[in-house]
Amino acid sequence: MSRPRRDPRAERAAHLTVGQGPRPRYDRTRRATGSGRLRRDPRAEREAQRVGGGARPRFDLSQVGRPMGEAVTAAPRAAPVAEAPKTVVVETPAFLVAVVPDAPGGRLSGHDRQVIGAARALAGREGAVAVIVDGDCEGLGAAGADRVLRLDGAEGYDPGGRAARVEAALAALDARHALFPESLDGGDCARRVAVSLGEALFTNAEVVAAKGLVRPARGRRVEQSLAPPRLATVAADAVAEYGGPPREARALPFEGSAPAETAKGIVSATRIPADPATVPLSLAEFVVSAGNGLTDLDTFRQVAAALHATPGASRVLCDAGLMPRHSQVGASGTVLAATCYFALGISGAPQHLQGVAGCEHVVAVNTDLHAAMIERAGLAVVQDAQAVMPALLRRLAEEAEQATAGGTS
Amino acid sequence: MRIAVLLSAGLHPVSGAPVLPRIEAQAIRMGAGLGEVSDLFGLHAGPDAAAIAEALGQGLPRIEHVAVAAGDDPVPALAERLAACAPDIVLAGRRSQGGEESGLVPYALARTLSLPLVSDVVAAAAEDGALRLDQSLGRGALRRVRVQGPVVVTCHSDAPAPLAYAYGRARRGTVAALAAAAAAIPAPAVAVEERPYRRRPKVVKGAPTGGSAAERLKAATGESGAAASGRLLIQPDPEDAAREILAYLRQIGVLAAPAAPKT
Ligand SMILES: Cc1cc2nc3c(=O)[nH]c(=O)nc-3n(C[C@H](O)[C@H](O)[C@H](O)COP(=O)(O)OP(=O)(O)OC[C@H]3O[C@@H](n4cnc5c(N)ncnc54)[C@H](O)[C@@H]3O)c2cc1C
Ligand SMILES: Nc1ncnc2c1ncn2[C@@H]1O[C@H](COP(=O)(O)O)[C@@H](O)[C@H]1O
Repeated sequence: MSRPRRDPRAERAAHLTVGQGPRPRYDRTRRATGSGRLRRDPRAEREAQRVGGGARPRFDLSQVGRPMGEAVTAAPRAAPVAEAPKTVVVETPAFLVAVVPDAPGGRLSGHDRQVIGAARALAGREGAVAVIVDGDCEGLGAAGADRVLRLDGAEGYDPGGRAARVEAALAALDARHALFPESLDGGDCARRVAVSLGEALFTNAEVVAAKGLVRPARGRRVEQSLAPPRLATVAADAVAEYGGPPREARALPFEGSAPAETAKGIVSATRIPADPATVPLSLAEFVVSAGNGLTDLDTFRQVAAALHATPGASRVLCDAGLMPRHSQVGASGTVLAATCYFALGISGAPQHLQGVAGCEHVVAVNTDLHAAMIERAGLAVVQDAQAVMPALLRRLAEEAEQATAGGTS
Repeated sequence: MRIAVLLSAGLHPVSGAPVLPRIEAQAIRMGAGLGEVSDLFGLHAGPDAAAIAEALGQGLPRIEHVAVAAGDDPVPALAERLAACAPDIVLAGRRSQGGEESGLVPYALARTLSLPLVSDVVAAAAEDGALRLDQSLGRGALRRVRVQGPVVVTCHSDAPAPLAYAYGRARRGTVAALAAAAAAIPAPAVAVEERPYRRRPKVVKGAPTGGSAAERLKAATGESGAAASGRLLIQPDPEDAAREILAYLRQIGVLAAPAAPKT
């Protein structure tokens, strides 16, 4: 379709004869050009197809028939003006929405942030979100907390004690709603608090809005909705995080006169970290994976052990019997939920990348600059993996040596 | 050792037919595997015993059935029966299946009987008088809890798979009907509104709130975030590459920092 599009209005305007009375008059016999057709100007057309102002010319060939049009230049995207986001302050909240996050190790998990986002939705403009944390916790204001109530973190495993402290804090806050994450610890705490208060608990809410909460029931065949109840737990990945400007996270005074109730019966509790060598691939936190680009699998296994990672592999290695089948990553293997994926000598076929889609961070070492894995990676190294692996081992050994040398001297 | 396994009347999530929830079958296996068990029995409170007879084939020699009208709260009846027979371990599923699925019954029982409760257990073993329970912390991590004395344990779905159904055992097992002495208490009615379930899109991690569909697609395919702002090292020295990789792994927190030399 190289014929330019006709513009009847413009043609008519060209035929207009000036003057002679109030009515417009047209000279239909007049011709703009020699032939009936408009004359094409290939250069101008080509120029009109030019997009962007880059050094290398780029043409958008789908633009036709704009022979006289000026070149389309992409308006430079206004860089977001880096004005300091103003902290939102709710001075006298009409009511409080309490959130009890898990905050493992003093950091909010993604699920915790979603619950705070849900609480923000409930609180609206008048209400305030009060977060009840054990010990210190960072990033609460950015996550959407208006108030923070700090409990004294207790050592050891004492779920009953924690629930009692949370209950006391909820009573002190007089919160209208209290939300918990429906996680292992959060769900446990929520049920203890609900049973102890003798109140109903709306579990596993998938929608949280001021209008009401919705949860699945009876094997997800029905859903139940309810006006926001006092106690609720929020499902993972169902509610969006808070995305607005940071909030104040003002510390609230609270003297935890928590009943010193020790968990009777529980003698001891020790945490056993997951053994990366035996943990199922789908549960692993950090996966180091080998592909067809690796020949030295012994070194690979040493690297995986030294990094405390779970070993994985692409299908090529599993088919060849070089790695066990249960270590295959990808569409026909295991879909990972890992935080970090470290790919050595993997091209990144679509079937393989499907298994990695959920990983937050990807590191890739590949000799091919144009491999899909390199494109997907947050840190991509174009280098021979056979040379990088021993270097990694050397560095880790050096660090360990320094640490022990420093420790003994 | 006397072990009670709490059985709820489960419904199959797809067909809606009565079925023993898998998690309770796993709880039965956990109880049967504890060794030196003198008495292992199932306990159900509900209007109908037929629903839970399947559990006999999964390894329970007998089931006690406390008759409770449909819609009544099973907790008082269960608590009364458990107080009477005083089992050393009460095993339950973490959530029931086909009903409210709130998982509150074991907590309410532990409260009424004032027993400690250990949730989400994947393995249990008897250890010189005490009980060793491995609690799931997610991602394969465990918390090993030692408990003395009677305890309520809820079972996690990562526990070993249930025993195979055995027809002969199901024939030999017995279901004993008990009359409930506790006053029937209707379950606290919460005015919920029900409608057919509607699947909702999962929140896409990393997509900005209120962003466009293109941004969500980018986040879903992993082209935004770390990948978009990725670093590319072309033909670095292997030593430099190793240093960069270790620094990156430490920055995102999957690799422990090198033990600081103590001076
Ligand atoms: C139905 C179906 C399902 C599939 N399911 C899966 C699945 O679940 N999982 C899966 O992994 N695959 C799966 N595949 C196979 C997939 O399509 C690819 O064939 C496979 O992932 C390729 O594996 P690879 O990247 O290890 O090998 P290759 O594609 O051979 O890539 C090797 C890479 O290593 C690089 N390299 C070579 N030498 C070096 C070196 N010295 N140092 C560093 N890099 C080097 C090369 O540049 C290349 O990029 C499936 C295929 C089909 C048809
Ligand atoms: N009526 C019941 N009789 C016996 N056990 C029950 C009953 N209801 C629930 N349970 C137990 O409590 C667990 C959690 O149930 P729920 O609180 O209903 O999600 C179930 O897995 C069962 O082990």
